[in-house]
Amino acid sequence: MVLQSSLKNCLQLSCIFRTPKAGFRSTTTGGLIIQSISNDVYQNLAVEDWIHDHMNLENRPVLFLWRNSPAVVIGRHQNPWQLMRQKNIKLARRRSGGGTVYHDLGNINLTFFTTRKKYERMENLKLVVKALKGLRPQLDVHVTDRYDILLDRQYKISGTAAKLGGTAAYHHCTLLCNADKFVLSSVLTSPYRGLKSNATPSVPASVKNLFEEDPSLTCEMLLDAIAEEYAAQHQIDHHISLINPADETVLPGINNKTKELQTWEWVYGKTPKFSISTCFNLVYQDSVLDVKVDMDVKHGRIEVCNIDLPEQWLPPALCSELVKSLTGSKFCPNETTALTTTLPRVCPQDSELHSRWNLLCENMTMLM
Amino acid sequence: ARKFTDKHEWISVENDIGTVGISHFAQEALGDVVYCSLPEIGTKLSKHDEFGALESVKAASELYSPLSGEVTEINAALADNPGLVNKSCYQDGWLIKMTVENPAE
Repeated sequence: MVLQSSLKNCLQLSCIFRTPKAGFRSTTTGGLIIQSISNDVYQNLAVEDWIHDHMNLENRPVLFLWRNSPAVVIGRHQNPWQLMRQKNIKLARRRSGGGTVYHDLGNINLTFFTTRKKYERMENLKLVVKALKGLRPQLDVHVTDRYDILLDRQYKISGTAAKLGGTAAYHHCTLLCNADKFVLSSVLTSPYRGLKSNATPSVPASVKNLFEEDPSLTCEMLLDAIAEEYAAQHQIDHHISLINPADETVLPGINNKTKELQTWEWVYGKTPKFSISTCFNLVYQDSVLDVKVDMDVKHGRIEVCNIDLPEQWLPPALCSELVKSLTGSKFCPNETTALTTTLPRVCPQDSELHSRWNLLCENMTMLM
Repeated sequence: ARKFTDKHEWISVENDIGTVGISHFAQEALGDVVYCSLPEIGTKLSKHDEFGALESVKAASELYSPLSGEVTEINAALADNPGLVNKSCYQDGWLIKMTVENPAE
């Protein structure tokens, strides 16, 4: 019965995770293959963190298989403002380096955990290619020296990133089976004009789904083929253990890791220092005004702010109040809106002034 | 005298200030460094604390403090030229300077 077997899997897993340094069990000598039962990007990233921090990978590498419901995932040192302007999709920052990817259930994620010494991305990617070719020999797939996997020599079907810790390391990659390419391209192509930063850039690529090449392929088939190849190469059972990323008994401390990954401080606050230099037009009654804004943002907070308005359009005292309250606050539309709705109480009851104020603040918020 | 940790960071102490960097072995293993994430001046570190990260074409790699102390200076040149870590890991590619709280460490 399905329920019983997954319970059994979870129990086996808890024994493995609790006594990592104990003797090997026959099913886990030489390696372990686990798959997440969750599609939540934060929970799954937390599992990666947990394995990296707690498991002894000496002679026992781990392959972790996971899929997420729609989300954009940026690299450790990327700038989310620079890359993505859509607010209605989940955004996560992973701990590995590299660029931005879009995940949905048509994309599979593979994480290869090893000791730092045994870290070897090319080997892992060749394993994936071997699995794909074993499944469909006619597929033209190969690994580039940028660690991408290309289909038909031109379409990217997999991107790679990695993290090297003290003793452990992991290499993870995506694999496009049947992802929504329309959403992918619309979410990932939104450059922010006027933003200067030395954050890790993202290199856009032409992508294709394996499903488009061969409609008989499914995510399940790909996962299974890769697990089988991994098992063969590590001489272990072709057995996939299911893992529940919310289970504190198997993964003590996991829920704190999941929470941390969702904090504003992690997702936005970890952005390398950047500056904005931009201008916008205010259309007010019959005139169009030019406003120039310069800001330095560090740890996601406005460190320096300068707003250039046409003289006397707003009383200078009010303008400097705005600059003062923005300085030190989060570069975040919610926070700015909260600030700007309280400020007008200090200024005289003048509806003309209020509408000018609101117009300016609205535009400021749109920059974030 | 330059001392090495098992994670391939080095520290060289002079006048009670330690300069920290990564070893030649480490920079070679990392590949070309494209970004250095370093702490704020004044950050207090304990031995083995994660104080930053280096991102290279290969991976994001955490940096661990070799000693306990307070960060007094960070290498600003790395912001525009992270490759200094590869080219000159023992000289111009230094990462941070810190006080040495416990010389015994």
